Amino acid sequence: MVAPCHALVRSLVLTVVCLVAAAPRADAEPASREAFAFAVELVKGSDPDMRAVALERLRDGLAGEAYSVELAEKVLPAVPPEVQVRLISTLAGRRDAAALPGLVSMAASGDESVAAAAVRAIAALGSGAHVPLLVARLEGKGPVRDAARAGLVAIQAADVSPQLVAAAGDATTPAAGRAAIFEILAERRDRAALPLLVSTAKADDPELRAAAMRALARLGGPAEVPGMVAGFLAAQVGAERDDAVRAIVAVCGAGPEVKPAAAEILTAYRAADPATQQTLLPLVARVGGPEALAIVDALVADADPARRTLGLTALSRWPDATVKDRLLGLLAKTSDDGERRLLVGTLIRIAPIPNNGLSDAQRLALLADTMKLCTTDDDRRRILERAGAIRTVETLRFIVPSLDTPPLAESAAKGVVELAHQQKLRDANKPEFTAALDRVLAVAKDPVTRERAERYLQGKTWERR
Amino acid sequence: MAIDPASLDAPFAALAAFDWGGDAKTLAPIDAAVVAAHGDASLTAELEKRLAAVLGSQAPQAAKQYACRKLSLIGTAASVPALAALLADKNLSHMARFALERYAAPEATAVLRTALGSVGGDLTIGMLSSLAAKRDAASVPAIAALVKGDSAVAVAAAEALGLIAGPEAAAALAAAQASGAAAEAVVDARLACAEAFVKAGRKADARGIYEALSKAVGDAPTTHRGRAVRMACQRGLFAAIDG
Repeated sequence: MVAPCHALVRSLVLTVVCLVAAAPRADAEPASREAFAFAVELVKGSDPDMRAVALERLRDGLAGEAYSVELAEKVLPAVPPEVQVRLISTLAGRRDAAALPGLVSMAASGDESVAAAAVRAIAALGSGAHVPLLVARLEGKGPVRDAARAGLVAIQAADVSPQLVAAAGDATTPAAGRAAIFEILAERRDRAALPLLVSTAKADDPELRAAAMRALARLGGPAEVPGMVAGFLAAQVGAERDDAVRAIVAVCGAGPEVKPAAAEILTAYRAADPATQQTLLPLVARVGGPEALAIVDALVADADPARRTLGLTALSRWPDATVKDRLLGLLAKTSDDGERRLLVGTLIRIAPIPNNGLSDAQRLALLADTMKLCTTDDDRRRILERAGAIRTVETLRFIVPSLDTPPLAESAAKGVVELAHQQKLRDANKPEFTAALDRVLAVAKDPVTRERAERYLQGKTWERR
Repeated sequence: MAIDPASLDAPFAALAAFDWGGDAKTLAPIDAAVVAAHGDASLTAELEKRLAAVLGSQAPQAAKQYACRKLSLIGTAASVPALAALLADKNLSHMARFALERYAAPEATAVLRTALGSVGGDLTIGMLSSLAAKRDAASVPAIAALVKGDSAVAVAAAEALGLIAGPEAAAALAAAQASGAAAEAVVDARLACAEAFVKAGRKADARGIYEALSKAVGDAPTTHRGRAVRMACQRGLFAAIDG
């Protein structure tokens, strides 16, 4: 070398030292050993540019277990934390599991960023044997926990799934930790966890029950529905039970498995005692279907007012518009104010639901028919605000007259701006929308509604908050 | 399907008068003949002769550019003189080079080398570009003589040496007395030479360049470019040492 620069001199010195003292393994070619020593020197140095180049080289070249081990076990502990983080990332990028023992040591670092980087690297390189370590890091909060969680979702090896399921079923693990593992299993789409999740869905601990139901909502199929129904029955009345309904509906709504899943619920209903049936009824109604409707119809027709109320309440939970004629028929016959409110409310809810089996014109017609049956301005206001979900110019024409009815004007204005949010619809019917939005600005007081109207009139969009 | 040369009379007559905005369909038979000439020495020679004649005629510039494009596909040493005559023409020099760069005949390289010393001005940059594209090591001394001071020609000459690479180009660059943008181009060209050495397995040569450049830029460069050069040298050194 002719007139080497300072760094190069150091590298050569180090080369000699390494060749003599470091006793490289036989798989390291002399040239690579020199380059490796050079890279290590730069990693340990204070120049960030050179360190970046060296780390790049260590990540993409200079392959060999001996180098990985040396980096992880000798170099890594000797550099400052900010360099440790980058070197750990480099070791992960080398895809060499030989670095794992050194990385496991670094996972115990008192520096959170170093420990988190080590956990990420372990997840990238590790196997099922490292699952307990990662699970242990799920406790608490912060970057280490986040890294462990992300790592457990991402870690790939054949023996990971059994280890994770075992950890999830370990009763000595705190409930929060087990709940976190359920979530991870769901994200991994790990169906091997299903038996454990089904059994846990009816566990005594509400946190575990809820977590198991959430995971089943993502992983489950018809076969899990009976277990989920048991979970629903075990859930506390209130938020937990509502969440359980949502979880079961999510499974029932999963593509071609809808009918088998719904059938499982009906089977459970028929097999239950009367008190349990009463508990299950809202769930049966929420899933819907012809057989469920027959059950609800029978209750609505029952002479016992309590059973009729149960039936009507179930009907109010129906998932689609197939019950619209029943609702209109019942509404025409009832003289009970409570029933009337319930039925009108249900019609208002189901009419604008997208993909509810009705065309846009039919959905709007149903909403218009319901409007005629309304006896309170509260219901009329709900209709006007919900109408925006039916994205046609006919809906605009339905809403606009209410802008001139003071008690309804504010809700009608919300309906108009919701429709105007659809740029294609707005542009295709510009004169009508311009007139309607001008009218909105004349009557609306709500600042958000006014802002939206102004922006749409200027041809701008509006970002939902 | 064999093409009768007589059938090309009308298309070549159209080409002689062809100008921008003209109907390109009238030239389609020539396009088809060029394709058909593949493997047909007789037709190739006939087409080359006629296309070269267009270059020496009073045909519009568009017609001559068309002829250059076709010659780039079928040309041999026979049409080199016709193209060489255009190298000093500021309107047609680039199209003549476009064709000559693609010629396999050594005569094509030779006329570019000659033109380098004669065309002058900005056209010199074009000759440098073409000689670099042909990786012509024989033109290194002539190109090296242009790497001096700070001019667009000096920059282009340095870049050409970087592309040609090889020991002669590397030595010429190491000895270059350039300044300003040309000096930066010399550094870039030396890095290009070093990379070519690494790829060719001449790692000691590559390492020599990287070490020299690293020394020149110093341990603590203050400019963004200086840091970039230093990092490039470092990367190169790793490649030169480890491959």
